[in-house]
Amino acid sequence: MNKTKEKRRFIWICLAPATILFTVFMIIPTINVFWMSTLKWGGLSANKTFVGFNNFITAFQDMNFIHALQNTILIIAVVTVITMALAIIFASILVREKIKGQNFFRIIFYIPNILSVVVISSIFGAIYDSSNNGLLNSMISLFKPETWETIQFLGNQDIVLYAVIGALVWQAIGYYMVMYMASMSSIPEHLYESASLDGAGKFRQFFSITLPMIWDNIRTTLTFFVISTINISFLLVNALTSGGPDGASQTVLGYIYKQAYNNASYGYGMAIAAIVFIFSFVLSFILNKSTERDPIEL
Amino acid sequence: MNTKKVLSLGLSVLMCGTLLAGCGGNKEEKGADASGKTLKIAGLDGGYGTKGWEAVAKKFEELKGCKVELQFEKNIADTLRPVITSGKDVPDVIYLSIGAEGGLTDTLVKEKAITDISSLLDMTIPGEKGTVKEKILPGFTDSFTSSPYSDGKLYLAPINYSPCGLFYNAGLFKSKGWEVPKTWDEMFELGEKAKKEGIALFTYPTTGYFDAFFSALLNEAVGPEKYNKLMNYDTATWKDAGVKKAFDTVGKLAKYIEKNTVSNANKEGFTKNQQLILDNKALFCPNGTWLPGEMKDAPRAKGFEWGFTALPKLTADGDAYSTTFSEQLYIPTKSNKDNKELAKEFIAYCYSDEAAKLFYENGGAVMPTANATALIKDDDANKLFYSVVEKGAKTNPVGFAAADAIEGVDLTSADGILYGTVNSVMTGKKTVDQWYDAVIKAVQKYDK
Repeated sequence: MNKTKEKRRFIWICLAPATILFTVFMIIPTINVFWMSTLKWGGLSANKTFVGFNNFITAFQDMNFIHALQNTILIIAVVTVITMALAIIFASILVREKIKGQNFFRIIFYIPNILSVVVISSIFGAIYDSSNNGLLNSMISLFKPETWETIQFLGNQDIVLYAVIGALVWQAIGYYMVMYMASMSSIPEHLYESASLDGAGKFRQFFSITLPMIWDNIRTTLTFFVISTINISFLLVNALTSGGPDGASQTVLGYIYKQAYNNASYGYGMAIAAIVFIFSFVLSFILNKSTERDPIEL
Repeated sequence: MNTKKVLSLGLSVLMCGTLLAGCGGNKEEKGADASGKTLKIAGLDGGYGTKGWEAVAKKFEELKGCKVELQFEKNIADTLRPVITSGKDVPDVIYLSIGAEGGLTDTLVKEKAITDISSLLDMTIPGEKGTVKEKILPGFTDSFTSSPYSDGKLYLAPINYSPCGLFYNAGLFKSKGWEVPKTWDEMFELGEKAKKEGIALFTYPTTGYFDAFFSALLNEAVGPEKYNKLMNYDTATWKDAGVKKAFDTVGKLAKYIEKNTVSNANKEGFTKNQQLILDNKALFCPNGTWLPGEMKDAPRAKGFEWGFTALPKLTADGDAYSTTFSEQLYIPTKSNKDNKELAKEFIAYCYSDEAAKLFYENGGAVMPTANATALIKDDDANKLFYSVVEKGAKTNPVGFAAADAIEGVDLTSADGILYGTVNSVMTGKKTVDQWYDAVIKAVQKYDK
């Protein structure tokens, strides 16, 4: 009897630090965000007025917010699909095939991930430069020298978001590739051997062995994609286009920042933050549930 | 058990006692005399640098026997925001303009969190005999950036003024034999001429510069009286035909815009737009007097020479306007009460001849006092910019009256409805009418 009590106390003591830290730094601030989202408040003074759900109602009627949310959803969808597909393909090639300079490619692919967002935005500022000196524009002009009008990657409102997506894919691919490579390396070699004895080709092996074996890993990274794309797209857009031209590349976090600070509507910003919180939570949940498969038993 | 209780009670009493004693001691230290006091000044490490502030702070320390602590950072708005929210260690004086990135000063104005410093005007400038009111150039303390609530009280002290207008390459104009246009009609005629030579008429660094450019244009279109109403969100005046003419003029400019301008009109690329003037790829660029300093190391076309003009007139018998941009110095309400008088004295001292000279010689900032303007010698490059008013242009104050924030309706910031939409007008994504209607709709929400 005494021992169980002691054991229980020990467990509580061990859990306490993490629980306290989690409460102080995660739960209380989150509750705070929800509380602040019900206020009309500029963020700096004590003049706070409780307005209930007014900020949420305003948000759903605010076309700029809807537009920023649409942009964010498009970015999450496209970046996730392209990055995941390319990362899995590259990882599979680097793990399964014997090609020269494997380590070199690993490093090259991973480098963008260690660069800061400001550096990435400078690099892509030069790549997307709309003058004839721009990396992409000067390359394209080689094929169409006569009547060539440069492409306004960051100035054309119909293109700018895809330009941002290009930069995001470039910076994310290495990170996910390394994660997939790690789990692919742990797939037992004999599975591939027996498959090839049975006459399965490379593609068959990829879809029937590699993909099912790393499925759990893919599911985990899906949540990562949602969270990190929401965050990094804000940082990159802020540095590269400032959300412009005229809000065409604005993301939802950028809009929170603009409203909370530039428009002195801190409470409204927090309401949007609360919406984003719920949105990313629900999206991750749906992704997790919809990708659930029976575990593979070897 | 009892001994323990008594002991802990005793210790608690002792702790409270020492805490109170500590507070008392502090109060005694911050007595009426300036000596022994520490004045905290925080501000933006911007275009004028910090050397001027260091020199002025040093002189003020010698004069008053107090200590001046300076905190100048490039991202000061981000640093100060949590400090002001917490209310602890709030700086005594803040140097950060209305409209600066991060919107800190704008928010403080909207939240009425800035101390009334009307008494500053009648204060004798430390080390001099005259008052601040006698020293300061007329018009500066009445603008919405200094007296935002239209209540006749002063909240933000105007400092470091500079005219904003259109910069161009005077060397290019000389070599081509072109005249600087006096009216917008001449401007567009020049646009056609330049187009034939492969030069665009106009570019802008970012839409943030339209606050100076477009407000001067509005003033030209409707005159100072109605302009004042515009800045007070008066819907009827915004519907005035003259206002629409100003919008249409910007719409017409879209035909002559340098084609890469919008792509570069952001934090990453704005210097590329400024470079267009140096490379003779565009003729005019709206900016402030800090532009030559900002581009001093940039390569330039042969024979390049900075030229500066006020905006062309809308009609031949109308007025030309140049926006006078000034920065602000203020005391937040949450700052230390015991230091407020000393903070005001510091602001007053900034208007002294001695401080004005230090500011000008260490960074080129010009205080809005008559004597400070006289510091600019004839052979000084700045003379060209500051003499724009002498050449007949009228000064246009920039900035809207303070109004409660409306959630989701950002009218006045650089990316807001009034200025940010300019990018869409330039790319043709939105028409001038769509822009104008959106502005009217937003103004109606602010108009009370």
